[in-house]
Amino acid sequence: MKSRIDLFFKLFTLCLLLGLSQASRAQAKPDPNAAPNDFVQQVADQVLVALKADSKVRSGDTARVNQIVDDLILPNVNFEKTTRLAAGRYWRQATPEQQAALVKAFRGTLGRAYSGAFTRVDDATNVKVLPMRGEADATDVVVKSQVTQRANSQPIGLDYRLEKTPQGWKIYDLNVENIWLIENYRNQFSQQISQNGIDGLIQALNQRAQQ
Amino acid sequence: MPSRFFTQQFGLAFCAFVLVLLSGCATSPVGPAHPADPLEASNRAVFEFNDAVDRAVLKPAAQAYSFVVPQPVRTCINNIFLNLGEVWSWFNSTLQGRQVDALNTFGRFLLNSTMGLGGCLDLASQTGAKRIPNDFGVTLGVWGLSSGPYVVLPIMGSSTLRDGAGRAADIYVNQFGYGSFIHDIGVRNSIYGLEVVERREALLEVTNTIDRTALDRYSFIRDAYLKRRQAQVDGATAEAQRLPNYEDFGAEPADEKTLGITPKK
Repeated sequence: MKSRIDLFFKLFTLCLLLGLSQASRAQAKPDPNAAPNDFVQQVADQVLVALKADSKVRSGDTARVNQIVDDLILPNVNFEKTTRLAAGRYWRQATPEQQAALVKAFRGTLGRAYSGAFTRVDDATNVKVLPMRGEADATDVVVKSQVTQRANSQPIGLDYRLEKTPQGWKIYDLNVENIWLIENYRNQFSQQISQNGIDGLIQALNQRAQQ
Repeated sequence: MPSRFFTQQFGLAFCAFVLVLLSGCATSPVGPAHPADPLEASNRAVFEFNDAVDRAVLKPAAQAYSFVVPQPVRTCINNIFLNLGEVWSWFNSTLQGRQVDALNTFGRFLLNSTMGLGGCLDLASQTGAKRIPNDFGVTLGVWGLSSGPYVVLPIMGSSTLRDGAGRAADIYVNQFGYGSFIHDIGVRNSIYGLEVVERREALLEVTNTIDRTALDRYSFIRDAYLKRRQAQVDGATAEAQRLPNYEDFGAEPADEKTLGITPKK
């Protein structure tokens, strides 16, 4: 039943909802060369504090939410890689212009998912990054966190997959309740592309973003 | 006579449903066939039917519920129903041999039922012990039954052949287990009705997000559902190792010949 996947989507709506309780650290720029779990916690701090402090976000101003996403989240995400992996083998069939358009359209679609979630951040929302497991020198890691919202409801597990680039750690995939974002969108993409081609997919994503 | 009226209405609804189902069979599947979804055409038809019922009845009821009942009360009611469900989860975890899960679920149930005022307060989650949902469909999977094709059930939604059988057991237990404690049929049906509405309300945000972001809601929900069920059957240990291995086609230069792809426009 839908209740089986409700936790996934609950988190999907809250995806990239990162935050911490210590406001004093909030304004420091996240250090991409720190340990990956510290890095994720720092990004979380920044974003949650920015969301909680902004009354326009609370009132549902999506332009403001998009701005926060652009300023605080996107620099820490390798979004081109996310889109490329979601497109799979079709990425090679795309021209550079199509690739750029696809990245932009996908970002627009996901932005709509975040904006709804971010407007629902309240003072009780909190993100706790769990301790790292795995080798210290790995270049592709998974960081787990727990998102708590209201006092009486179940915390949600949120995992991030990061890779180490020359510029430091970058997030490129998200997992909610055992479902990875790229994996799910890969099927959506390939279905659209096989029916309408890459331009059709870009168009569909843009249409979605505008509705 | 009221009973004849109901029979007539039910008969009409049933006919409408069958027509919807048959119309789905007449059209070809959308896009390339999905290996786990051979019944895609009729599944999509049922999906559309469920959607129509949802838009007409369930969603408005859930929205009204959300409007009328304050959040803390809704959370309390939600937790009470989830707490009652823990007993069945515990039973299934035991059947699957997952003793740790069974113990945790039992502890949760005990704590929430007593200190949590009959399940209203989810104290156990606050101490860090997450709820472990389990049902008979997962039990069948753990026992070795493969899931069978993806099936969208009328009203109830996503399922598979195995999970459908599992759900029959779930409903049986619900009806004849809890149901037998309440002798007044009116009260019992009201409680079932409340459960349906509050479950739907809990999913309002989720379904709104899917509406906004999924390119194709049907396949989005199907893939998420199948992944989640597989993860539940695999269990906690397997999940930790199961990292998807994405093929990165950006790293090497484009070479369609090796892949056997004919370039599109």
